[in-house]
Amino acid sequence: MTLAETLIHLLPRGDSRRFGEVFLEHLEDGTLRARHRHDRMELEGLEELSSPQELREMAKWDTKGEYRPLKTAPNLISGWVTSCQDSSEFLKRLDAIYPGVFATWAAYEKGTHDPTPLRDTLDRQTGMYRFAGSITDQMANEIMRETCAKGCLRTIAWPISSECPTSRLKRPPQDIPVICTEACTFAVSEARRLVKEAYDKANPPSES
Amino acid sequence: MSLPKPDSALLILGHGSTENPDSSQPSWDHAETIEKSEQFGSVHCAFWKEEPSFRQIWPMIEEKEVYVVPNFISEGYFTRQVLPRELGLDGHTTEVGSHTVHYCDPVGIHSRMTDLLIKRAREIIDEGVRLEETCLIIVGHGTNLNKKSTDAITAQVEAIRASGAPFAEVLDAYMEEAPFIADWQTLTDAPTVVVVPFFIADALHSYQDIPVLLGIESEPTEAASQREVFRQNPYHFGDRVLYYSSAIGTDPSLSEVILDQVEYFDEHYRS
Ligand code: SF4
Repeated sequence: MTLAETLIHLLPRGDSRRFGEVFLEHLEDGTLRARHRHDRMELEGLEELSSPQELREMAKWDTKGEYRPLKTAPNLISGWVTSCQDSSEFLKRLDAIYPGVFATWAAYEKGTHDPTPLRDTLDRQTGMYRFAGSITDQMANEIMRETCAKGCLRTIAWPISSECPTSRLKRPPQDIPVICTEACTFAVSEARRLVKEAYDKANPPSES
Repeated sequence: MSLPKPDSALLILGHGSTENPDSSQPSWDHAETIEKSEQFGSVHCAFWKEEPSFRQIWPMIEEKEVYVVPNFISEGYFTRQVLPRELGLDGHTTEVGSHTVHYCDPVGIHSRMTDLLIKRAREIIDEGVRLEETCLIIVGHGTNLNKKSTDAITAQVEAIRASGAPFAEVLDAYMEEAPFIADWQTLTDAPTVVVVPFFIADALHSYQDIPVLLGIESEPTEAASQREVFRQNPYHFGDRVLYYSSAIGTDPSLSEVILDQVEYFDEHYRS
């Protein structure tokens, strides 16, 4: 099955799904439609965005006009709608809002894309991030709590280390899941920051 | 001509930024141009600091054969270490999961960049300005930590000199090492100076830092996309005139250089 066919399989005609903050519909006439879930009750007045480029530009900014580097941050703006008939084109539009998120889920569910343990991601780093690998489990939990749970819609699928048991995530029937199979640049930067902070605390600059 | 390749995918790799909204735009723009030309089955972008990240990209690509072109200005830490590591590549061609991946050279080292720099310099100066009285300065980042970082620029400067383009002088200059771009007024005494940044995007360095070093802004401005008024060439410094170009990587012709790197791969690295 291609990715577009998988999408149609998970979003059959006449049905709707929740995809992060986006509400997806597959109408009886074959139209595929997406909008912010806050707008799901009302179509009138929504701005029609009709290309991946327009949607990517929309998803670049938050309501205050600030740059939105993490696409799965819980602050996607509302007030737009996009619709088309072609499932490949529809997938491109969803990728402009949540890049690669659908493909990640499809590959994870198929068993062809395994999550990478946090410690493997951190141990791989070089340059200024090379120290991130020495985080404690407590710091890892802090990242998951403060960076991920508060600032991101993704459900974490990775374990802290390869020794930790993890259960496979299941798809709630009304959802297309938004999952994280590997720590992102924000989590890696946060790991570096926590390690550096702990190091500086343990080694205060000497007086002399 | 090895193109078109309707059964292969093209993947453009960029740096991206968690702070500057303009960093990834040139890669998206070039991808869109190439996608419209229908030379590949599909065209994708992936980034170090934005999404989709290098680590998320493989499940998105359905073609078996993938050409990967780094939209980077030079060979170095990123193209030799970070990109291969993150994408799981170990040579010119690597089997990664279900993909056969061809790793092309970065755009910035293609010989066509020389013509592009000359074209860009000619485009931004006003009609009537004589090239024989004009100094072209190619500006890069430069860092004392890595000698390689200036090689791409000195190579371009030599190639422009050898091309016979009638500039009075062609010089290299850097933000963080000598010859410093901040000293442009003493590096040359040509009456007209054209500065072309050898960068991929109009992000932090070329849009915000270098204008301060040149003396055309007193402090770093907002990101390009957040500014209402674009800068107006030329700038006058006494009886001298300065033209400042946008980053070479924003030139629409870069999409052709990306395709050139795919063809170069087929001619030189494909077994
Ligand atoms: S590591 Fe994953 S869950 Fe955490 S912020 Fe980054 S993308 Fe979101």
